[in-house]
Amino acid sequence: MFNLEQAVAEWRQQMLAAGIQTPVPLEELEIHLRDEIERQMRSGLDEKKAFEAATRQIGQARALRSEFEKNDVSIGARFVELTGIAWGVIAGLFSLWTLFFLFTIHEVNWVGRMLGLVAIASTGLSWRYGYRVLPVIRHRHVRTLMGFAGCIVSILWMGTFVKLILPSLVVLPTKADTSPARLMVSFLWAWTVAATLASTAHGLKKVASRKDQPAVS
Amino acid sequence: MIRKELVAASAEPLILSLLARGESYGYAIIQEVKARSDGKLQWTDGMLYPVLHRMEHRGLIKSRWGESETGRKRKYYSLKKDGKMAMAKHHEQWSLVHSVLAGLRKKQYV
Repeated sequence: MFNLEQAVAEWRQQMLAAGIQTPVPLEELEIHLRDEIERQMRSGLDEKKAFEAATRQIGQARALRSEFEKNDVSIGARFVELTGIAWGVIAGLFSLWTLFFLFTIHEVNWVGRMLGLVAIASTGLSWRYGYRVLPVIRHRHVRTLMGFAGCIVSILWMGTFVKLILPSLVVLPTKADTSPARLMVSFLWAWTVAATLASTAHGLKKVASRKDQPAVS
Repeated sequence: MIRKELVAASAEPLILSLLARGESYGYAIIQEVKARSDGKLQWTDGMLYPVLHRMEHRGLIKSRWGESETGRKRKYYSLKKDGKMAMAKHHEQWSLVHSVLAGLRKKQYV
């Protein structure tokens, strides 16, 4: 004798075994299955045939799992993206702080101030539109790896700038009064490069999701 | 029956357009698409959910758990602002494809 509740419980087990996660999306799929069984029974099928038709219609567990897997964002990928965003925010805050001094110190001329503003604008534009020049990478792990590399290179770049480039800028100027502007503008441009590199993970994800094609059938 | 590739490509604009009429849930979306296409647009039912979840992840739609009149739990989806913009873009692009096709067909009969 066919037992519908037992058959649904077995179907759930098959879905779980294939890797469909609970409660979401398995619960959503089960609700759908029960709706379809009811519809089939209303159209005249007995419980067993209605169940078989509904499970056929909902699809194979493995095919469903592989489709759901495309949506999963691993903890690693999320961590890399958040690190990039956090580093970008730090870059933005430092840039604004430097810009404040650039406009309040009297020794800085308008060329220095313009260069500083252009650096800030470049940082903003690279975060807003930079993803457009990035390639579409379908493989999530490659995207995560490239995002991670972007963060590391960004941090290394700032380390190199502070350790090696900044001291030479302090020593090099022939006139003492050109030093603050040169330092601040260089610092702003250094942060622009760092922020752009840090946006790699975020940009790669954005460009991949924009070009994503839905798969239904 | 409509080809698999076309069914897949039309999923997002159809879902967005259906949700623009009001919030709905997976089973109702599938039934509505079947009814409106006289059963010619056939989706493998389960495959709708990864698409819905992906659209939610992209910020096009949002969801909430609720209850049907019969007391059954349901996950209702509704359109977000970005979804409305995406729908307008889809309509524009599909209209363009349709007008190009219609124009070419007309020329063949002239």
